[in-house]
Amino acid sequence: MSKPPPVAGTSRALRYLGLRCLQAVPTVIAIAVLNFFFLRLAPGDLVDTMAGEAGAATPEYMAMLRQLYGLDQPVWTQFLHYLSRLAHLDLGYSFRNSTTVLDLILSRLPNTALLMLSSLAVALVGGVALGTIGARWRGRWPDALISAISTVGFATPLFWIGLMLIVLFSVHLRWLPAGGMTDVEAGRTGLPYLLDVARHLVLPVFSLAVFYVAIYARMTRSAVLEVRDLDFVRTARAKGLAPRKVMARHVLRNALLPIVTMTGLQFGTLLSGSVVIETVFAWPGMGRLAFDAVFQRDLNLLLGVLLFSSCLVVVSNLCTDLLYSVLDPRIEVR
Amino acid sequence: MHRPFVWLPTRRSLLAAGTAGLAAAGLSRGAHAGDVAKPGGTLVVVLDPEPAGLVAGISISAPAVAVSSNIFDGLVVLDETFTPRPQLAESWETSQDGLSITFRLRKDVSWHDGKPFTSADVQYSLIEVTKKTHPRGNAVFANLTAVETPDPHTAVFRFSRPSPVVWAALEGTETQILPRHLYEGTNPIANPWTAKPVGTGAFVFKEWIRGDRIVLERNPNYWDKGCPLLDRIVFRTIRDAGSRTATLEAGEAQYGAMNPVSLADTERLRGSADLTVETRGFEGSAPMYFFDFNMRRKPFDDIRVRQAFAHALDRTALARTIWYGLAEPATGPIPSYQKAFYNPDTPQYAFDPKKAEALLDEAGLKRGPGGVRLRIDHVPCAYGDDYIRAAEFYRQALKRIGVELRVRTFDLPTYLRVIFTDYDFDTHSAWYSAYPDPQIGVQRRYWSQAIKKGTPSSNASQVADPDLDQVIEAIQVAGDPAERHALIRRFQSVAQEKLPSINLLELKFFRVYAKNLDGISFAPFGGYQSFKTVSTSV
Amino acid sequence: MTVVLLTKATRVATLLSGRKRAKWPSSSFLRRLLRNRSATFGGAVLIAAALAAVFAGAIFDADPLDMVGRPYTWPFTDRLHPLGTDMLGRDILVGLVYAARVSLAIGFAAAALSTILGVSLGVLAGYFGGWTDGLISRLTEVFQTMPPLILAVVVVTVLSPSVGSIACGIGIASWPQIARIVRAETLRLRDSEFVQAAVSVGEGHLRIVAGHILPNALPQIVVTGSILVASAILTEAALAFLGLGDPNEISWGSMIGAGREAMRTAWYMTALPGLAITAVVLSLNLLADGLNDVLNPRAGNV
Repeated sequence: MSKPPPVAGTSRALRYLGLRCLQAVPTVIAIAVLNFFFLRLAPGDLVDTMAGEAGAATPEYMAMLRQLYGLDQPVWTQFLHYLSRLAHLDLGYSFRNSTTVLDLILSRLPNTALLMLSSLAVALVGGVALGTIGARWRGRWPDALISAISTVGFATPLFWIGLMLIVLFSVHLRWLPAGGMTDVEAGRTGLPYLLDVARHLVLPVFSLAVFYVAIYARMTRSAVLEVRDLDFVRTARAKGLAPRKVMARHVLRNALLPIVTMTGLQFGTLLSGSVVIETVFAWPGMGRLAFDAVFQRDLNLLLGVLLFSSCLVVVSNLCTDLLYSVLDPRIEVR
Repeated sequence: MHRPFVWLPTRRSLLAAGTAGLAAAGLSRGAHAGDVAKPGGTLVVVLDPEPAGLVAGISISAPAVAVSSNIFDGLVVLDETFTPRPQLAESWETSQDGLSITFRLRKDVSWHDGKPFTSADVQYSLIEVTKKTHPRGNAVFANLTAVETPDPHTAVFRFSRPSPVVWAALEGTETQILPRHLYEGTNPIANPWTAKPVGTGAFVFKEWIRGDRIVLERNPNYWDKGCPLLDRIVFRTIRDAGSRTATLEAGEAQYGAMNPVSLADTERLRGSADLTVETRGFEGSAPMYFFDFNMRRKPFDDIRVRQAFAHALDRTALARTIWYGLAEPATGPIPSYQKAFYNPDTPQYAFDPKKAEALLDEAGLKRGPGGVRLRIDHVPCAYGDDYIRAAEFYRQALKRIGVELRVRTFDLPTYLRVIFTDYDFDTHSAWYSAYPDPQIGVQRRYWSQAIKKGTPSSNASQVADPDLDQVIEAIQVAGDPAERHALIRRFQSVAQEKLPSINLLELKFFRVYAKNLDGISFAPFGGYQSFKTVSTSV
Repeated sequence: MTVVLLTKATRVATLLSGRKRAKWPSSSFLRRLLRNRSATFGGAVLIAAALAAVFAGAIFDADPLDMVGRPYTWPFTDRLHPLGTDMLGRDILVGLVYAARVSLAIGFAAAALSTILGVSLGVLAGYFGGWTDGLISRLTEVFQTMPPLILAVVVVTVLSPSVGSIACGIGIASWPQIARIVRAETLRLRDSEFVQAAVSVGEGHLRIVAGHILPNALPQIVVTGSILVASAILTEAALAFLGLGDPNEISWGSMIGAGREAMRTAWYMTALPGLAITAVVLSLNLLADGLNDVLNPRAGNV
């Protein structure tokens, strides 16, 4: 993370914002270049995949497809075409999915965002609460229990937790759906629709959150312990503030800083964590889209998803920096 | 499926006729005999992978067929004896010389957008779509020179040579009739209607949410009155096999098309009170599993080495341990259930490791240090974990005769390049569809002209044998069915004798569905056919 | 991979508190480490796993891929196969022991690769600053913005699955974090008095980096590195779950990958290697915590 800016006024913040966006341009171009050539090293192309899925194909048919997809052109020509399309903000067409890459991404993005933001929220709340409790009862049994559970949660493969939850809650108890995002009964709108999505969200969110709760609990605990002994907290305590108020106003607020950094960084890894969980829970998200695109050699789609997620990371890093300087006045004086 | 009953005035009597029709058409009558079929309702089908397009006539793949056969019809449909029955064509006749077939088309058919279906659609579909943009249409319909349309309800196919093979491909699961008015003048592959199809079939396309579901709804104007019974079909894409099993077991889906669950799970599901594991309905695609040698590499040019391998692999154990009984040892390149073509009397190689070792000794491959006589690699096809486990089975079996096998696995596109473009393998195992006619599915493994660099499912072993070529080419030009059948029988003997590839198993693909479903088709392509006769019993 | 972020964020907390980090400790290091309970426990489990991996051949003189028993034997039902057999009749206990080899090898190799890449680039960027820093920071950013798991998948696909390519893929996907940590550490140390002193007496760049900067950054690198190993083992399992494993070697990930198909029928095939992974990853995390406590005594009460 580059050094957060000393924010004094809106104009300075805006200027900083502009500068950062400018800096991001070469990064995005580098990502496009790297992806384009690196992915091409993988043997086979989209036409191979489609012919393989068809079970049989004639050479004439494959030649026709390659011509249609522009795969018969030299790599450099293809690359220039790709760049010029990008310059027009056109991500291209996915022949494997018979629709435009942008449509695909826009239809999947909200799903992944919902999944990730919900798990982050659950993890944040759960983790901060558990971490605070742990710090409060440091060295005693609640602390030991919390750190034991969170350490184990942290060390267990995500997909394994997901699969076990399905077996227990969907197959045996039949309390929650095994996968998907909505029930197939079409036409639900409004509240029933939201409730339906919420029901489908429980297991995947829980599986992902188990992992993140561990991180947040550990961080909160150490941050709280760290801040607790600092001068200003001692002063507050000496002033006779109630311990609960000291905790809420001074300790937790300051302990939140590293957690904000963490959340910002995690937002950037939005896609990675979701690939596995989206696979297990048949969640129609971006992670699985990217993953399938690799194996189908759907380069337009994969490039599009990676570019899009890269931009998301750049933006989220930027937001974290800004938020950071707003949250912590000390940054300015340092 | 042609439904022989006539229109009856009330819905109730109609359903009664429908149930009678089921028996006649060889459909399932459900587990609960005596129950009445309940019209309406939604059928949820789990599907994997997501198809590339929803018109199998253009982008054909198993899931594309399973979805699009509900939206489109073919001219005919094959019954359990592989005999063509009417669908969009009411009747047909073949000329004496076999050079033309005249189809009389149904007059009461319209497209989902209301336009009438005519012979012009048939002409366009065969000449412009099947022959040009279907992955194998060009090969199957090579001799089709024209489709004439003397009137809107007659289509005459003209051939340059008799082509009995086309009957195996005229089904709606292989050759679909598309609406000319939406496709003419476009490249069918890039046509946007391929993702929101308009057909003549029993169900109408509603929506496709990629990565999640495809929704079809009942076609109220379907020509086959009384069909379809369901109101809606939802195809859900679920990538993980374990999650598919869970979805079926939880009752969230009632039907799983084409090997929806892992083989390991089938054993338990076969004992399930709610679900059926059904292996009928794939005799048309006829998956045949085999072990290829790279004929251009030593020592596989030596027939004794190939015979030794054939004797070293216990096909019965393979079927039992890897396929959990969902496979039968094969005796040749054509499956035993395709009775019209099958030849039971061909050279066989019984499981006999001692004989295998003797053959290898004879071929000069003596055991060296560590008991190893030969180090080779093996590439299993990239169609699933079962095939990788089978490769592990071969490694174990061949180790016993002193052959060390290194398994190399790849994802699908890499696999296709390694096997069919680079031919970079010693041995290879895969399955191909035999299809209802060996000329489509089987000869491509044995014909020297089928060594086509870059073409999937072609002649990977690169066998080029004059005897094989001679019999294969004779089959292609034989117009007389009896003569053709005799040649096909001889071909099987030659293939088994030359052994460029060991025919291991007749795989049994399967569907998993709820026991209260009625009207499931068991025809040769039943596994891919329309759900128009399906309903849930009460 | 996210795991690395944890150290980073903890470090942010440390920096904010304005405290100084202790230098690389002297001979009392091992004694203090042994006194640390979590480090001792983690270390013991890890050593046991490593011993099993090294002496697998001596413990069980068999090929773990051999089909030796009746398939689907449940654990504790057959004396010959105490932990049962898988769907092909391969002994699970033998498998677990041999798999420790590959899983640990992939874990350490991937961590080593990303540490080497990350440390060299991080030191270069932090030490020289200027355009070197600009270039390397951009490169780091490019790699960091790509989803690590997808990046690993692409590398493994390009190189086709094998133990080497899997380690390579994981390593390439996880170097940016350690590079950023090392860069920040180098930046801090470069301005320190002792480095300035070394510069003033005319020491060469290499000597300054090797003699002053690296030793002082080492505690941070060791702690991060041990977490990287843990995260690499988890990533290997995820890749195997997604179908990217080496068919000629047995790893805990590949055992889960193979067992997941039969999970509903025989969950023990998935559960046992899953437990092995959890145990080793847990011990690595505990070891990292312990190291952090000992090496950075005032930094974390983690």
